[in-house]
Amino acid sequence: MKTMRFLFMATAVLCSLGLVLQSASAADMVPKAAFDFKNFPDMSDFDPNKPMPLKGDTIKIAVVASHSGPAASVGEIYWISVLWAAHMVNKQGGIMVDGKKKMVEVLKADTQSKPDITKKVCERMILQEKVDFLWGTNGSHLQKVINQVADKYKKISVNAASLSDELQEVPDFSRYAFMTTFSTEQIGRGLAYYYGQIRKKEKKFYILCQDYLFGHSMAEGFKKGLKEYYPDAEIVGEDYHKLFLTDFAPYLTKIKASGAEVVYTGDWIPDAANLLKQARQMGIMLPFADIFMDEPRFLTEVGVEGTKGIINLAQYGNGNPAFKNDDQIKVYRAWNDLWKNKWKEPYNTVLYTHPFGNIGAYIGSTYWLLSVVTRAGSTDPEKIIKVWEGDTYQLPSGQILEMRACDHKQITPLTVNEFVPPAEQKQSFNIPPYYWFEGCSNVGPSTLLPMDKVVPKADPKLCK
Amino acid sequence: MNNKSRWALWIAGAVALFLYPRLFGIYYANIFVTFAIYALYAVSLNLLLGYTGLLSFGHAMYFGTGAYGTALALTHIKGLPLVPALLAGFFAAFFLAICVAPLVVRVGGNAFAMMHLAFGQLMFVLALKLRHITGGEDGVGGFPIPPLSIPGLFSLDMGDPILFYYFAVAVIAASLWLLWFFTKTPFGQIMVAVRDNTKRVDYLGFRVPHTKAVVYVIAGAFAGMAGAVYALFQNLVAAYDAYGILTSFVPVMMTMVGGIGQFFGPICGAGIFGVLDELTTRYTDRVELVLGLVLVLVIMYAPYGFTGFLTYLRMRWSASRAQRSPA
Repeated sequence: MKTMRFLFMATAVLCSLGLVLQSASAADMVPKAAFDFKNFPDMSDFDPNKPMPLKGDTIKIAVVASHSGPAASVGEIYWISVLWAAHMVNKQGGIMVDGKKKMVEVLKADTQSKPDITKKVCERMILQEKVDFLWGTNGSHLQKVINQVADKYKKISVNAASLSDELQEVPDFSRYAFMTTFSTEQIGRGLAYYYGQIRKKEKKFYILCQDYLFGHSMAEGFKKGLKEYYPDAEIVGEDYHKLFLTDFAPYLTKIKASGAEVVYTGDWIPDAANLLKQARQMGIMLPFADIFMDEPRFLTEVGVEGTKGIINLAQYGNGNPAFKNDDQIKVYRAWNDLWKNKWKEPYNTVLYTHPFGNIGAYIGSTYWLLSVVTRAGSTDPEKIIKVWEGDTYQLPSGQILEMRACDHKQITPLTVNEFVPPAEQKQSFNIPPYYWFEGCSNVGPSTLLPMDKVVPKADPKLCK
Repeated sequence: MNNKSRWALWIAGAVALFLYPRLFGIYYANIFVTFAIYALYAVSLNLLLGYTGLLSFGHAMYFGTGAYGTALALTHIKGLPLVPALLAGFFAAFFLAICVAPLVVRVGGNAFAMMHLAFGQLMFVLALKLRHITGGEDGVGGFPIPPLSIPGLFSLDMGDPILFYYFAVAVIAASLWLLWFFTKTPFGQIMVAVRDNTKRVDYLGFRVPHTKAVVYVIAGAFAGMAGAVYALFQNLVAAYDAYGILTSFVPVMMTMVGGIGQFFGPICGAGIFGVLDELTTRYTDRVELVLGLVLVLVIMYAPYGFTGFLTYLRMRWSASRAQRSPA
């Protein structure tokens, strides 16, 4: 009996010690590079409508995205995000590359959301414009094309916005492609973990996603996550709709009849906007569990009540409160003041109020890329690969990003945010005016998911 | 033009095609391949529209089937060589045309056009919905592109854009020559007669539906060939690019701009569209608007298209020369 008690006690002590050491190592993780608050320049001349004119030899980044058509606003978001990071580096004097100081130039490459145009425009960027980096994009099917072209011409492709795991798996994996975003399986498991292990309220879920690689991967990730973390949950319906749908009524009618308590969706704008607006117009007040239903323009159109209770899983953020020190506030103010006082259409809309959420993540991806170029001292893809594989970088938010060497996927903790009315947003937005947006619900309670529960899926053929 | 100068012209053209990628580089070689693919596609449509008088708003179903045929063959058949992969696309479109022909050859005019619009859209929706076969909105991509090889003799890597340029140009030139030869045969003349006066051809003892069916199958199969080269070139086939409504309209517009009923008309049309597309995309994303405006202008001021306009100029020049020359 004594031996048993001793063994039990010893096991408990060892386990506790292990947990303490584990959490300590995660908290004390020292990144190889970090956002440089000290050298943050005066950004008052930044205007996304009038990029700084550059002459001579530059480091070129092509923002490959939908710059026209129904998803044009996504291209705008990418453009300002990449341009902001490039402008910051240019104001710091540029980057020393192969013994020469070079400025960073950003070019638009319009995919028109079509795969064949994507291929053509990427080839034009590489062969004609001589860009060093392809930065994309909205749509995993388009990112696949970007990665293929990058692989063919041996250029670095930065995937900051396409979330399908398959992009970084055999047979699509390319050593020239780096994924600096969260991924579908990770998102699905993250939300399943949140509902099953933390929130423990709703049990009936309806999956509604876009009918392409990304949408199906999102659904698969969530189903897998529910099996793992929430076996009691029930999927009461599952549908996939075509991209850029304008009439969601048939799907919403089915959702209403299904008895669902939560609608799980990966839709991005314009689909996310149309889905939410039509749901509320039809009197369906169910909460959505999502990743892109955070765009304040349509959230404001729906209003405070209609957006209350949305559960948004975010890749950018470091838990509450959002501002933890004065340096962060200074960087934030640099953006927010320009938004208030300087920028013109379309960058003066409510969407661009804060450099947070997905905008924060896209800026962060570009900071990281430029930090890698600085440390590599070259735009040579082989040198970039060498530095970026296994690299760690700390964003202005304090969040640390890690690039897994075996499959070039980003590893970072995820945050689940619950949207609450402006009066309750102070817990998150802890500086005046103490709310994110006046006309809609937004981030209130914020839950950091344990890193080990949301490690991105790894292809065993690549990661032993 | 005598035979000698004609030969000299062809040889100069062949030399220009050979030197083109060396002179202009990979990017413009790729643009030329795109032009060549659409030229073949438009010529195949012109067999129906210009030569037989059948307007199709769903010709993309053959282009798309050819593209998917090659893409799926390369995805699922390990080690499939290049030429059989190409022929897989050609025959996929060929068999589809054989199946559809009995349903459409007895109608003409608006009915023919509308039936094809419906069939084209049906194929498009099937490509979107049969995700496990076609990849849905993502399409079929990243399949291996086999080398062009004769065992023991040579093996050319088709991943090299310059080598692929030569391969694509050779395949498309051979296809265009076959189609040109076809229009010059006696059967080709019957085809034109069907367009001009169906009843008279019928009274002469020719079977009009059978004639139409043969033309239809050939047009479909060569559209499939264009699709097959497209699949190899893009290494990706997606529903919107292969079966989309614009993919059906593009060869119609190219044919009308280039010149209906003339063999080289659609080729000129594809060239004009290629140049316009390349120039306009550098300044605006409203490419379709510019192409639409050009179509409107052509219909208003040059209804016989670019080649028709050239013929008109040549005739006027000959007439004025005849007037000036002493009697």
